[in-house]
Amino acid sequence: MSEVVVEGLTKKYGKTLVLDNINLKISAKEYFVLLGPSGSGKSTLLRLIAGLEEITSGSIYIGDRKVNDLLPKERNVAMVFQNYALYPHLNVFENIALPLKVRGMTKVDVARKVNEVAETLHIRGLLEKKPKQISGGEQQRVALARALVRDPTVFLLDEPLSNLDAKLRVEARAFLKRLQKEVGITTIFVTHDQAEATTMATRIAVLNRGNITQVDDPYMLYARPNDVFTAGFVGSPSMNLIRGVARRSGEGWSFQSEDMSLGLGKSRLDAEREVTLGVRPEELTVSKDGAGLAGSVSNVELMGSISFVTVSVGKTSLVVQLTGRPELEIGDRASVGIDPDDVLLFDSKSGSRIDTGH
Amino acid sequence: MKGRTLLLIAILTVVCLIYFFPIYFTAITSFKTNNEVFTHPVIFFPTQFTLSNYYVQVNVFRAVSDTAIGSIPWMIDSIVIAVIATLVSTFLIAAPAAYSLVRYVRSIWVARLILFMTMIPEAVFVVPFFIIIDKLSLLNTWWGLILVYISFSAPFSTWLLMGFFNEVPKSVEEAAQIDGLSPYQIFYRISLRLVTPGLIAAIILSFISCWNELLYALVITFSPFPGGAQTVPLFLTSFSIAEKAFNWGGLAAAGIFVMLPTIIMGIVAQRYLARGLTLGSVKG
Repeated sequence: MSEVVVEGLTKKYGKTLVLDNINLKISAKEYFVLLGPSGSGKSTLLRLIAGLEEITSGSIYIGDRKVNDLLPKERNVAMVFQNYALYPHLNVFENIALPLKVRGMTKVDVARKVNEVAETLHIRGLLEKKPKQISGGEQQRVALARALVRDPTVFLLDEPLSNLDAKLRVEARAFLKRLQKEVGITTIFVTHDQAEATTMATRIAVLNRGNITQVDDPYMLYARPNDVFTAGFVGSPSMNLIRGVARRSGEGWSFQSEDMSLGLGKSRLDAEREVTLGVRPEELTVSKDGAGLAGSVSNVELMGSISFVTVSVGKTSLVVQLTGRPELEIGDRASVGIDPDDVLLFDSKSGSRIDTGH
Repeated sequence: MKGRTLLLIAILTVVCLIYFFPIYFTAITSFKTNNEVFTHPVIFFPTQFTLSNYYVQVNVFRAVSDTAIGSIPWMIDSIVIAVIATLVSTFLIAAPAAYSLVRYVRSIWVARLILFMTMIPEAVFVVPFFIIIDKLSLLNTWWGLILVYISFSAPFSTWLLMGFFNEVPKSVEEAAQIDGLSPYQIFYRISLRLVTPGLIAAIILSFISCWNELLYALVITFSPFPGGAQTVPLFLTSFSIAEKAFNWGGLAAAGIFVMLPTIIMGIVAQRYLARGLTLGSVKG
């Protein structure tokens, strides 16, 4: 059980900068998620920690050891790959046993260890089968077993759920979380799926184009995103983001865009500037003829207990989350209510959130 | 769809007949009496069925004798040479070369160069090879022919296996790396096992080409085992020249006998051969 520290880590492929000066401190036993869209560098970061790629500059520490120049096997990390990467020519038992065998463990000990871990992961019945003969969910468990069998100090997971169907994925999510608690291993999990990240993580690092935009617990990431990217990436459906200008109006401030004008109250803005206004769909209200921004309904999506109504205000589309059955239909006139207290403001130039004092 | 299928079957039947006819004709000739061999018009099925070509004239099952030609010495040479050349070129040269080219060198030009080497007619190298083998004092020995055959089958097998190693998922090797296997162990315990169909295809194709090779055997060997290293293709030629009159029945019997090992290998490994040639093509 070790902490993982990443200091000033930079990775380049030729001239392409993939990771730019990454700093992270992952505590022992933490379930840490690297979240980002494809090409954000999250998998590369994981591979650097595993030792599968060479570091361009910076350092990685596992426990109190600097591991920069250590081979993957010397780092005692375990990794589960997106496609599980089981050895197709070996049966399940041999797959799990291989890491122990190459470490020179005796046959008796290998068998005992494999059976133990197979018990934990409920795959004892599969030990004689070849990877091709078992289902995707089972293959994933075998991959987990192979990773866990040699008591690694850090557990690395590279999108291990993305090859499972939706129902299995939800099950696997809960299973992984429970398993991690049971074995108590520092876990780093890479995903592009923000639901996966927020349901499992103790903390999440959001990556965008080789930079970490924010490291926080799932709730803070959702409620107080540091920048426009994080705001738009975390949460489904995405936060409504509207570009405009913040201007002084009387005692307070107001937000103005092409399609709307909105009082912001006494926000602690220091100067008039271009801003992006962000508001979560569940913080908006919509009514047929109430006060607010007037527009027309362009889409209605029923999701069961909740539904999403898209209202077009001029060229701006606002998604509103409602509970229960919406009384609106496509084409209806509607007005959207925004509470200035629920609004986040981001600087349009830098993208970072402006502390408005709310 | 049905019409197309029928047409396809018809075409394939014709193609099969074209390929199969020489083998069929050799086979029936080997069972004909000497009279029937020379009958005009040619008969396509022997009326006087005989095994004498196998026993008396060719005597394929006997060692060298004064009156009849036995195939055994040539068989020994062929088997030793083809097996050693095949195993060495596949396992000691082609497989490690293909693996390192795919995983470490990754140069499309090296791959093309290797493919190019397989396209050069073998006859081009007859004189230089003769001189080299002579300088090494390996003329008329197993090792002389083995060296030549390795140099021909290794590039082809390398090229063939590169396609297979290309298809081994990189993540499987990375998993092995993390599991603690050394690069050599990854090659030997993981990747080599995953290209088994390719290895089988390479072994068979290499064996067949060594078995059938005539030109170099003719140039650098002069007599069969013991004391020499003449392979079975030379058995066929030497046998037909040695007889006073052309003994077609005997030649056909010898031909069928010589064909057998490769045919059996082909049938046994047919599954792998088909997969080996279609799956493992090098891209680009």
